[in-house]
Amino acid sequence: MRLGIDAATLERLEGVRALGETWIRPVGLEADRLGRPTPPEHAFFEQLVKSGQGRTRWSGEEGAPDKPRPASRVGATRRLLVISEEMSYWDRGVTVSFPGPGLGDPPVTSMGTPEQKRRFLGPFLEPDRPRWGSFAMTEPGAGSDVAAIKTLARRDGDHWILNGAKSFAANASRADWIVVWATVDPSLGRGGHRAFVVERGTPGLGDFVVERKMGLKAYESTSFSLRDCRVPAENLLGGEEHYARRAGFKGAMKAFNATRPLVGVMAVGIGRAALDEALGFAREQDLLGDPRVRDRLERVRRRLRGARLLCWRAAWLADHGRPNMVEASMAKAVAPAVALEAASLGMELLGEVGGRGDHLIEKLFRDVKAMDIVEGTGQILRIVMARHLVQLPRE
Amino acid sequence: MIDFELEADLELVQQTAQEFAGHHLRPELRSHEAARSVAEAARAAFDEIGFAGLELPEAQGGSGLGALARCLVLEELGAGDPGAALALDPLGPALYPLLELGGENALAELGGPLLRQPGARAVLVWNGPGGRSHLERRGDRVHGRVPWVPADRVDLLVVLDEAGAFAVAEGVACEELRGAGLRAAGASALTLDAARVCGEWRDPAGARRALARARLYVAALLLGLTRESAEYSRRYALERVAFGKPIAHHQALAFLIADMASAVDCARVLVWDAAWRLDLGEEATEPCASAFIEAAEQAMFVTPNGVQILGGHGFMQDYPVEKFMREGRALSLLLGGVDCARELAGQELAATRGRVALNLEGLA
Repeated sequence: MRLGIDAATLERLEGVRALGETWIRPVGLEADRLGRPTPPEHAFFEQLVKSGQGRTRWSGEEGAPDKPRPASRVGATRRLLVISEEMSYWDRGVTVSFPGPGLGDPPVTSMGTPEQKRRFLGPFLEPDRPRWGSFAMTEPGAGSDVAAIKTLARRDGDHWILNGAKSFAANASRADWIVVWATVDPSLGRGGHRAFVVERGTPGLGDFVVERKMGLKAYESTSFSLRDCRVPAENLLGGEEHYARRAGFKGAMKAFNATRPLVGVMAVGIGRAALDEALGFAREQDLLGDPRVRDRLERVRRRLRGARLLCWRAAWLADHGRPNMVEASMAKAVAPAVALEAASLGMELLGEVGGRGDHLIEKLFRDVKAMDIVEGTGQILRIVMARHLVQLPRE
Repeated sequence: MIDFELEADLELVQQTAQEFAGHHLRPELRSHEAARSVAEAARAAFDEIGFAGLELPEAQGGSGLGALARCLVLEELGAGDPGAALALDPLGPALYPLLELGGENALAELGGPLLRQPGARAVLVWNGPGGRSHLERRGDRVHGRVPWVPADRVDLLVVLDEAGAFAVAEGVACEELRGAGLRAAGASALTLDAARVCGEWRDPAGARRALARARLYVAALLLGLTRESAEYSRRYALERVAFGKPIAHHQALAFLIADMASAVDCARVLVWDAAWRLDLGEEATEPCASAFIEAAEQAMFVTPNGVQILGGHGFMQDYPVEKFMREGRALSLLLGGVDCARELAGQELAATRGRVALNLEGLA
C-alpha cells in the first residue's frame, strides 16, 4: 500500500503549478471579472497549443495504443487525477476551456470508425492553432435522466435529419464539431440513442447561446438547436453496425468508471484552494488563536484528505479494470460537498470582505457548486450506490 | 504510485482477525457484555494466534508487524466486539508509551509479565489537557482519581501527559461501575492513594508519538464498530418490509444507507493513511489525531442511524445496534476525547505556512 504522491508525478505537478500561477488563475479571474468565457483568440490558448496541449489522446494510427504513451500506462488514471486536481486548484473553469477535442475525444476514439477518427481527430494530432471539439447530450428537459433525450434523428437518403435542442455543451460555439446524441425512437430509451459528429457550418445547426452562469465563467456552456439539421450519413459515429452490435449488450453496464473520481478530485482541488486562501486570510487577520476557527479549518483539511483518498481509491480500481461503481460514485458524492464546505467556511472567515464579491474565495464558492451537479448529481450517485448496496430497483 | 493493495501478509493477518471475530466475538457479544469478561475459548484462541504481540519486536516474541497490521486487526475485532477486543489485549494502547518512552527494556520489564499472565490488563490514562482524570505526583507517589476506565482490574496503569509518562503497578484501587459501554472489558473508577511509581519517563516528543499511536488504536476499533453498525442495519433494511417493499428501497433510507457506507470508508481511508505514514517512520501525530476525530465523528453519524433504521427494534437490547451506538460514544471519550485531538490537529494546521499538503508528497 502507498498513499502518497510519488516523486515523478510531483515533478509534473511543478510544471502545472508554474502554469497555474502565471496563466490559469489569472485567466480565470479575468473571465470571472468580465463575466464572459475566455475568447478563442486569447493568447493563453496559443501558448497552450505551442506547449503541446490541446491534442487528442488517439494515437493517430489504427491498432496502436492511444495516448498517454509516456513511460507506462500503469497508473494512468491515478496520475491524471493528481494532475487534474492541481489544475483545478488554480481554476477549474479555465481547464475546461483548454483547446482540444474535450469530451468529444473519448466517444470518437472508442466508437469511431478508422475513417472518422482520421477526419475528426486527425486535426488534433498536431494542431496548427487552438481547436475545440464538443459533446452534447444534455437537453433542456433531460439532464440526469439521459434516456429521456428528445432530439430526433430521422434517416433521409444519404443524410440524417436532426431536430431538437441541446443545453450546457462546453465549448460548443467555438468547436470544429460537436458529438450530438439523438434518438431514432424515444420509446426505445438508450437503445434508440445515436451519436453524430455535427460539423461547424452544417445547415440547421445554430441558435448558439452562451449561457450566463453562477461560476466557472472561463469556459462557455452553450445551448444550441438543430432545425432540420442535415448530417451526412458517414457522420453517424461508429456507423450503423456499431448500434446493431451494441443492441446485443443492452443493459450491460461498464463495470468501472474513471470519470467520477476525476471530477471528485477536481472538487478537492477547488476545496484545497479555498482552504489555503482561508488559512492565509485567517493568519493575516490574527484569527487562528480562536479554537472555533481552528476546529473548522481542521475539519475541512481532514475531510478533503478523506475525499481525495476516496477518489484515489476509485481510480486505483479503475486502473486495474476492477469493478468500482460504488467506490467511484462514493468519491464523487463525498468530494463536492466537502469542497463546498471549504469554500463556505472561507467566506465565513472573510466576513464582510467576502460580501464584496471580489475575493478569490467568493469565486471558488460559486465555482464549486457545479461539481455536485456535473457527471452525476449527488442524488444520482446515491441512487447508483444504493443499486449496488441494497439492490434498489430501477423504477 | 498510489496503491491501495494490501500486501499478502497483511491480507492474511486481516483474514485471520476476521475469522476470529466472526467465531469468538460477534456471536458472544451479549454474553461477554453480561459476564464483564471474555470466554476462555476466545482468550485461548487469541493467545494462540498471537494478536497481543503483533507490534512487539520479534526479539520479544512478537510478530514485528506495523501500525497498518494493527489497524486491520483492530477493525475486525472492533466489528466483532470492541469491549472484548480491549479485554483480550493485555497491553492495549498502553503499549505505546512503554515502547516510545521506556524503550524495549521498560517494555520487557513492565509489559512482559502481563503478556504471560492470562487476563492481565495494562490501562492507559491520559492525564493532560482535555482529560477528566486528576492524578497528581508527589515524589514517587501518585494521588487522585480516574472517573472511568474500561477494565475491572489494572495490573499496570500507564499515565500519559504532554511531558511524558509514568507507570504504577500496585496500589490502584478499582471501584466497579456499570459503565456506559465496552462492559466486556469491565468498567471501573480508579483511586490512587500514595501509589508508588514504578517507572517514569520525561520526553515530550515521545509522549506525542505515544498518544498518536494510542489514538490510532482507538480509531481502528471505532472504524470496525461503525462498519458493523452500517452493515447490520443495511442487511436489516433489506429484510424489513414496510408499505409494500423492503425499507431499504424507500429512497430516504436508500440514501441514508449510501451515506453510511461513505462514512465508514471516509474513516477507513484516514486510519489507513495515518497507519501507512507511521509504518514509513513518520511521526504522524496529526494524521493519527485526524483519523481519531474522523472515526469518532463518523461513528456518531452512523451508529445512531443504525438504531434509527431498526426503529423500535433498534432501541431494544435484542439487537446489537444500540450497543454499537453506546460504545461508539464511549470509545471516543478515551485519551482526552475528540476535542483534545482536534486541538492538536488544529494547532498543527494553524502553524502551516503556504500550501496545505493533504497527503505525503514526494516519495520515490
